[in-house]
Amino acid sequence: MQHRKSVRDILSGLIFIGIAFAFGYAATGYERGTALRMGPGYFPLVLAGVLGVIGLAVVIRGLLAREEEPPLERVPLRGIILLLGAIAFFGMTVRGLGLVPALFLTATASALASRNNSLLRALLIAAALTFLCTLIFIVGLGVPLASFGPWLRF
Amino acid sequence: MPFRKTGATLLATLLATGALAQDYPTGPVTIVVPFAAGGPTDTVTRLIAEPMSAALGQQIVVQNVAGAGGTLAATQVANAQPDGYTILMHHIGMSTAPALYDDLAYDPTESFETIGLVTIVPMTMIARRDFEPDTFEELVDYVTANPDSVTYANAGIGAASHLCGLLFMDAIGVDVLTVPYQGTGPAMTDLLGGQVDFMCDQTTNTTGQIKGGEVKAYAVTTPERLESLPDLPTTAEAGLPDFQVGVWHGLYAPAGTPEEVVATLSAALQTALEDENVVTRFAELGTAPVPLDQATPEAHARYLQEQIDLWGEVIASAGAGD
Amino acid sequence: MDLLANLALGFETVLTPTNLLYCFVGCLLGTLVGVLPGIGPTATIAMLLPITFTFEPVTALIMLAGIYYGAQYGGSTTAILINLPGESSSAVTAIDGYQMARQGRAGPALATAALGSFFAGTVSTLVLAVAAPPLARAALNFGAPEYFSLIVLGLLASIALAHGSILKALGMIVIGLLLGMVGQDIYTGTPRFTFGFFELYSGINFVSVAVGVFGVAEILRNLEHETTREVLVRKVSNLWLSREDFRRIVAPVVRGTVLGSILGILPGGGHVLSSFASYSLEKRSSSRPEEFGTGAIEGVAGPESANNAGAQTSFIPMLTLGIPAHPVMALMIGAFIIQGITPGPNVIRDEPALFWGIIVSMWVGNLMLVMLNLPLIGVWVRLLTIPYRVLFPAIIAFACIGTYSISLNAFDVYAIVVFGILGYVLIKFGCEPAPLLLGFVLGPLLEEHLRRAMILSRGDPMIFLERPISAALLACAVAAVLVAVLPAVRKRRDEVFVEED
Repeated sequence: MQHRKSVRDILSGLIFIGIAFAFGYAATGYERGTALRMGPGYFPLVLAGVLGVIGLAVVIRGLLAREEEPPLERVPLRGIILLLGAIAFFGMTVRGLGLVPALFLTATASALASRNNSLLRALLIAAALTFLCTLIFIVGLGVPLASFGPWLRF
Repeated sequence: MPFRKTGATLLATLLATGALAQDYPTGPVTIVVPFAAGGPTDTVTRLIAEPMSAALGQQIVVQNVAGAGGTLAATQVANAQPDGYTILMHHIGMSTAPALYDDLAYDPTESFETIGLVTIVPMTMIARRDFEPDTFEELVDYVTANPDSVTYANAGIGAASHLCGLLFMDAIGVDVLTVPYQGTGPAMTDLLGGQVDFMCDQTTNTTGQIKGGEVKAYAVTTPERLESLPDLPTTAEAGLPDFQVGVWHGLYAPAGTPEEVVATLSAALQTALEDENVVTRFAELGTAPVPLDQATPEAHARYLQEQIDLWGEVIASAGAGD
Repeated sequence: MDLLANLALGFETVLTPTNLLYCFVGCLLGTLVGVLPGIGPTATIAMLLPITFTFEPVTALIMLAGIYYGAQYGGSTTAILINLPGESSSAVTAIDGYQMARQGRAGPALATAALGSFFAGTVSTLVLAVAAPPLARAALNFGAPEYFSLIVLGLLASIALAHGSILKALGMIVIGLLLGMVGQDIYTGTPRFTFGFFELYSGINFVSVAVGVFGVAEILRNLEHETTREVLVRKVSNLWLSREDFRRIVAPVVRGTVLGSILGILPGGGHVLSSFASYSLEKRSSSRPEEFGTGAIEGVAGPESANNAGAQTSFIPMLTLGIPAHPVMALMIGAFIIQGITPGPNVIRDEPALFWGIIVSMWVGNLMLVMLNLPLIGVWVRLLTIPYRVLFPAIIAFACIGTYSISLNAFDVYAIVVFGILGYVLIKFGCEPAPLLLGFVLGPLLEEHLRRAMILSRGDPMIFLERPISAALLACAVAAVLVAVLPAVRKRRDEVFVEED
């Protein structure tokens, strides 16, 4: 009998096991306590165990799968890097640069994550968004954020 | 060239810092409250924030950073810029943390500049409505007779209710099963629901429930009876003169905050404590502002040291510092 | 009749120009912060608290309450339109609401949310008016063991949130529970899983997780095949509900309202469960459960009603006993105290105008909200005609600013990146994000109540079975698992038979 394996099940099961192992390992460093006074390590350790078992079951099911599954979609590497990089960049610079420049650069980079946006279009989108967000968040809601941060002051 | 440029920048920065201390405050001041919004410490802070803001001529933002009996917020403020724009409101927990936590990331006396005391809130011993004892004396007898079946609720490690419980158990020499909650709200909920037997908490939390007849009140932990609860005996009247505790509140700035800035804040605090609204509201909560000579950095620092010594002993003898 | 006299007093209090104005201001602000991801009602109320110093007590509380339930209306909008839930309840709405939007049915989805919320708001306000004090007292019978069992039931019933593999849904719940453990342990103060990051001491921010696993992961998924197809269907069929839609939402709205009203009364965080519980209930009782997760209108109607009903009745413990059910209610108690009113059982007796004024204002506010939100649907739906390549940078921008502005903490923004990638990978492998979010929200509560129950019982686990409410809830939980697992097992067995035939 020919088994078709489910790549999705096997990989997600492995991720489950990985997370279970990471949390479980860290949890052994905390006091376990007794049933009456459970320590900080008690509950996470139990959960990590449960997750490990579930992960194992998912892997096994993936190995035994019989159904045909559609192939995994292409990973949009350029999009992921640009988009996540843009978000991280925002976190790093919003205090220093201020909302306007940080958001403009973040929006430009994330717009470029789509292959349908040219550089010019990305810049236009970013400019419009920056204007809109400054209006909503700083003028409208009074969120305590500087438009231009201390890095740009002399 | 690069060197000169750096030198100039450095000079400019120095000048700017100097100017900052003189003009202080030029922007909103954040008071970090180490407990959840709506709680007693939060209320005290919000009540004085209003007149302090008027005195400083700047907005005051109250930020709640709850967690770990207040040490989380204290750590945050200890590491904040010492520019007077981030200050801390903390209560009695400031003096007990060194004894309760081994790995404290700050030192209550070294990491902060004291600004001034604010108020000392009395505490009340209360129980679920159908709890057997009717008076404080009966409570002491009952707890002594049934140490294995009564339960004492507190609002978390290091919370005022935790400390009051420690002091009570220390005074009567009995250990009681303690159930920690995340804040006074949930603890009070379970007390009203009869899930736990008794607790000791600040009048700011208990007055409404006592007046509404939802809980049984035994005693107040101050030397004198309270105006807001005149029928409630003091612990001394009820035969436990050693069991006295008040939740004192004080304002702190990070260590290294310029003296002028601390003085400005202290002056604003004193103005706030004389505010009519603050006095009335405090009275409704069963407390009062400290005398103005206590709302100074020096008096506050002295009091803090006394309290650290006192609680160090109590906690060590209760064996709770783990 | 007392009730009528009381309601008359309430209307008298509310129907002054000032109070009406501030009721509207509160609702409008609430809708706004609800629509924008991140900021949320807690932060807004905390920010506005000092301003209300100068108001009359009743005006202040009417406005603050308006912000809270207004935000419940607004939150669903972002969840439906761009799959960006701002709080746990809208995460449920996002499951089917967003699918409806992709099929060009954003109009009916939004209308369902608004109408369901209005119905729920009306009924639960009535519940508040008729029976608040006895209900609050009944809710006090819930102690730690009952809450633990209730949460277990909620978690197991929520397997229904996933339309794929049950096993993977369970795994996602447990991952969520584990992520919820991050931060300082409330019983001992020990920092857990913080890797030395001071920012993690108070736990991972909910908005970072939600924005990451829902919003960002969805965008990354869409970038996968942007060359082959357009992401959002631009043709918007109709804005309003069809007769068929109406027929389908009536029962879910009523059921959701009842469920939400009951759960909302429980002060230990019952309202968090309401939308999840309603979704599970609707999927179970539906004659076509396979439609759930692919744009079933019942999956929007039930949870939205339950959420709003729960939000409304969560005022009950606060108004009648002075105990807060969640941070927003704690802030409301702070507002009472600042106004010189001691919250507690005396409020009804001593301040009848205030008590009944707030209750009536909730109904008036709900009416304002539905009138405000229905015309807005047209505007929102038009937003979807913006090409996706323009829309998604906007989503990212809003998500970044919204998350950052919660506590001005860059760490919360970095967390989006981590959860965005985790969510993307897991979704790619056929796991669904909603159960993870539920686990994340309920994890800390589950642990807290478990440990407290064990302390109260002095280490005896039988406490969960000895207390009748707790035992009944656990029995329901077992039943929920059986109901979920049995059809799958039977199906598999059938398949096996088919293959071997």
